Amino acid sequence: MRAWTWINERTGAGKIWEALFARKIPEAKGWVAWLYTLGSASLFVFTIQAVTGALLAMNYVPSPDHAHDSIRFIESQVFLGSFIRGLHHWGATFMVVLVALHMLRVYFMAAYKYPREATWLVGVVLFLLVMGFSFTGYLLPWDQKAYWATMVGANIAGQAPALGSYLAKILKGGEDLGAATLARFYSLHVLVLPMTIAVAILAHLFLVVWHGISEPPLKESNKGD
Amino acid sequence: MEKETGQDALKVSRRSFLGWAAGLMGAAIAAILGGSGFGYFISPAFKKREEDWVNLGRVDQIRLGVPTKAEFTVRKRDAWMTTERRSSAWILTSNGKDFTVFDPKCTHLGCPYRWDEATKKFLCPCHAAVFDVDGSVVKGPPPRPLDRYPVKVSSGRILILPLNEQRKT
Ligand code: HEM
Ligand code: FES
Repeated sequence: MRAWTWINERTGAGKIWEALFARKIPEAKGWVAWLYTLGSASLFVFTIQAVTGALLAMNYVPSPDHAHDSIRFIESQVFLGSFIRGLHHWGATFMVVLVALHMLRVYFMAAYKYPREATWLVGVVLFLLVMGFSFTGYLLPWDQKAYWATMVGANIAGQAPALGSYLAKILKGGEDLGAATLARFYSLHVLVLPMTIAVAILAHLFLVVWHGISEPPLKESNKGD
Repeated sequence: MEKETGQDALKVSRRSFLGWAAGLMGAAIAAILGGSGFGYFISPAFKKREEDWVNLGRVDQIRLGVPTKAEFTVRKRDAWMTTERRSSAWILTSNGKDFTVFDPKCTHLGCPYRWDEATKKFLCPCHAAVFDVDGSVVKGPPPRPLDRYPVKVSSGRILILPLNEQRKT
């Protein structure tokens, strides 16, 4: 307890704890209450992605001649490698699902309205960043599926009017989908996007805590189950 | 909402029950995920060196009593890569059954030595070391006899384990 007092007096940890975890939240009943967990669930899966991603990066190389071999190495040689990769693989899918559901609940509960517009806007950025993670991560195993899915993605970008061909080349890091594309996507996936999303998540959470969480709409009608 | 008064105070409140339940589940999840990740991270410490025996050729190709230099390729698995390295070794046998294989590097500072047929000694050109046919130091600065590779004979072929690091004799 003396250690706690020492830390608390010097850091305000108790106040921070109160503000973050002992704050008031709306009373929701039945299944509606579960909808409020989707944001936290996204955050949880994000943490798993960050940890498993860092672990995968220890045994992965973003080079066309070794990328796929290194994935096979993780799958077959590294202790718990296929488990860690499996977590990252399924976590990526769940992340998209959870973030989308979270967005839908905010939309249908009209929780984006005044004064929470900024929270919503940062949320849109977060959604785009998650899409960016999925798109760039999908190429990394460097198998047929990865290659052709990215080819399709780059060609879609190429369809954009006027600037399309430039966009596709920027995406691919050159004329063709190859070594430069893989290195570029890897940098985006493990450096650019993680740093950006970390900032966006902090901003989002700050706004959530600062505004407090909105009441469920039509409070009377969903009192029952 | 019940109030915690009298004998109710002994009962576990809903709030503290849920608090504990959430805490325990969280701890379980953290232990499983953290444990797996930690195991993955530290697993190189427990990985056994792969024993890649190298084939040096047929037993009957080695002349009795005369050291024979064998050239070979070591194919080494380096995580997801396979690297190839040219290397050599000196093979020695007196009866065609038991073989001794020497690391081709002098134990002084690693120069390649050669066999001198006239004196029946191994001579190192760098600092004039002389080794006997059994690898022991006759003259010069080397601190120990020639290093030997683990060797075994399997279906008429000589197999060695060319280890990279210096082995203490
Ligand atoms: C919201 C966060 C993230 C999402 C949605 C995501 C998504 C993905 C996807 C879809 C794949 C392809 C998986 C597969 O087919 O196996 C992948 C692979 C990969 N990710 Fe992530 N990722 C995220 C965060 C991270 C982070 C933070 C790192 C590293 C710091 C990372 C490192 C990797 C690596 C090295 C691979 C290649 C290994 C593999 O394909 O199994 N990821 N990611
Ligand atoms: S290296 Fe052989 S004698 Fe010095």
